[in-house]
Amino acid sequence: MTAEVKAAVYPPPAEDEGRDGLLGWLLTIDHKRIGLLTIGTALLLFFFNGAIALTMRAQLAQPNQDILSPQAYLQFMTMHGTGMIATTITPLALGLGVYLVPLQIGAPRIAAPRTTLLGYWFYVAGAIMLIWGFLTPQGAQSGWWGYTPLSNSMYTPGPGQPLWVAGFFLAATGMILQGVTTLWTIFRLRAPGVTMMRMPVFTWAQLVTVLMVVAAFPALLAALLIIVIQRFDPGLGASNAWNFAYQELFWFYGHPVVYVMFFPFVGCVAEALSTFSGRRFFGYQGTVLSLLVFATGSMAVWGHHLFASGQEVNDYFSLTSIMLTIPAGVEYFGFLGTILGGRLRYTTSMLFALAFIPQFLIGGLTGILVANPTIDYQVNNSYFILGHFHYTLLAGSFFGFMAGFYLWFPKATGVMLREGLGKLHLVLLVIGTNTTFIPFFFLGMRGMPRWMATYPSGAGFTTLSLISSIGAGIIGLAMLVLLWNIYVSARFKKLAPPDPWRGQTLEWATSSPPPRFNFNLAYPVPKVRGYAPLFDLRERARGEQARGEQVRAQQAAEGR
Amino acid sequence: MPFRNQFAWLFGQNTTIAWVVFGLVCFTLLVAIALSWWRRRRGRPASDKAESNRLELGYVAALTGMVVFLVISSFAANGKESADPPVTYRVQVTGYQWCWRFSYLGTPLAVSGQCGGAQLPVLVLPAGQPVELQVTSSDVVHAFWVPYLRYKTYAYPGHVNKFTVTMPGTGKWIGRCAQLCGVYHYEMDFWLQVVSPAQFSQFLTNGGHLR
Repeated sequence: MTAEVKAAVYPPPAEDEGRDGLLGWLLTIDHKRIGLLTIGTALLLFFFNGAIALTMRAQLAQPNQDILSPQAYLQFMTMHGTGMIATTITPLALGLGVYLVPLQIGAPRIAAPRTTLLGYWFYVAGAIMLIWGFLTPQGAQSGWWGYTPLSNSMYTPGPGQPLWVAGFFLAATGMILQGVTTLWTIFRLRAPGVTMMRMPVFTWAQLVTVLMVVAAFPALLAALLIIVIQRFDPGLGASNAWNFAYQELFWFYGHPVVYVMFFPFVGCVAEALSTFSGRRFFGYQGTVLSLLVFATGSMAVWGHHLFASGQEVNDYFSLTSIMLTIPAGVEYFGFLGTILGGRLRYTTSMLFALAFIPQFLIGGLTGILVANPTIDYQVNNSYFILGHFHYTLLAGSFFGFMAGFYLWFPKATGVMLREGLGKLHLVLLVIGTNTTFIPFFFLGMRGMPRWMATYPSGAGFTTLSLISSIGAGIIGLAMLVLLWNIYVSARFKKLAPPDPWRGQTLEWATSSPPPRFNFNLAYPVPKVRGYAPLFDLRERARGEQARGEQVRAQQAAEGR
Repeated sequence: MPFRNQFAWLFGQNTTIAWVVFGLVCFTLLVAIALSWWRRRRGRPASDKAESNRLELGYVAALTGMVVFLVISSFAANGKESADPPVTYRVQVTGYQWCWRFSYLGTPLAVSGQCGGAQLPVLVLPAGQPVELQVTSSDVVHAFWVPYLRYKTYAYPGHVNKFTVTMPGTGKWIGRCAQLCGVYHYEMDFWLQVVSPAQFSQFLTNGGHLR
């Protein structure tokens, strides 16, 4: 490595080195701290929005209940949906990238760290405004879709809905900023030797994620402006063009965002599977290609949310949506190929990754079902769809996140989590998610629409709803076990070595937690010859050892 | 009334495929766990084969074949649903916050009711005769859904969505609003009642009363 390259890769000015305490965190330009702030804030909001969901499940456990008034139910439902998507799962997805991408590509920092921090603060401001709107008497009541004219000032007066618009807008803008800086980091700051085709699967997943953020999120900002315009002139809500334009723009964001909330967790699962299978990820090139195809295709499927609108080209969107089976299938074959050849180690992270495979698959396969207009006409906007996307998001993506959380927690904090509590968390979460969301499919088939604040007793929804509510309670319990695990691990510290799992990617070559500029003289960036550099090094070391033994054996045989 | 048949056919076909795929993936997971156990017992290392282009092309081809099949099925079912027979009656279905109004076009008759009570509005249709439903809204977006029909369509203000139903026999089924439309969205239930053609003519002429 020449001196010039070194200077480019390790810029020494340590402007905020040494600054610590609260201010050191809130004004940090260290991507690790920004990433942890983003993930931490999103996890806090996960508990908040989860508590809201539990309240809704309590309301729906029995027919004709009055725990939440119909109005309050809609406010809770709007907060749960918008909160989970805009201020929880999306920031979890992008925050992981802000934390991990520079480490995985051997970079000392993130590109434009102040912009990344600004993205975090936009996101926090957005979350505060959403919750602020939620706390106003009327709140926002038009769901996370915010369809006009329901969301305009004629049908939802009061400050709650405008605060929802502002909050959603700010949170999305913040995510665009974090996405852009992650993208630029990948393009400009890779360590020598880290070519594009030597980036770990997780970093590739982040790359396609942020490409979708950049391409799709601005459409949401445009859509939200339609609500703003209609709030000034609600008469426009009588014209189909203003409402349908909103729906098109909203779903142009609304579909890619579900893959934004999916790919980073596919990346987590891929890293966990290959690490704990003790081998390289199978079919790396095919998986990378499939991620790119998937991201491109995801921009062309939004219309399947409008099959029942009577104003959409249904065959076209059915074609594009079903076609996504190909890249999704390639990724699944990559997962299965990896574990089929592996010697598996059943850590909590690995178990979450393994559980992700069948659990997400339920969401994926029902997704293919609803890509058929004929099936969608029936199940769209029913509990069947709720079942479908809660399987993708909670039973799927969130399991992927937890696989990553248990994998990288020691790296980020320097402290090991308790494996036993982690496995209890997993078991409870598997039971909880399935008990909650399997009944949703049957409720949908029985004709239960979404967004119902309550339901009559004779409609045949009671038993299934009750089972689902019990499941939601189990999910709540599982998440308390996670909190307990974090508390116990922080209170009675078991320190983490740099590489507790025999990791394969560059973040495991540095200390836990990594130093301010990620790598230093004590922990340099090793030579990168492939997409699993640490695995390559171990393999070569084993090879050299074996050759050495062979030579020694030969020398002994020759009697020297 | 093609929706029920097409839905039953396609849903059955798709769920069968889905179950097979789900079963195969779960089986593969178990195989991987068994293989790993076997490797550990024999002291064998993990496989060092990180790719197999022939296998990868094979599964891409298999996936593509499946997609072609699924797309053709989707188009076939959707094409059969778009066929519009000549209609005998036209009924305008208007959603509003928070109930429904059914106007029998060409007659002065328009019926409604009270959603959220015992007096749900009833959409009365004749058996065996194709009827065009024109779904629209007078305020926010609603959706007209009769689960028994296996069909729903959005009701937009300033736009009419048309579809044709031919109900084979008499009966009474629940219908619901399937788009969030405000506080009493959950109360927007109605009945779809199918009567004999003779009863239907009477219904049209005596001001919307069924005997």
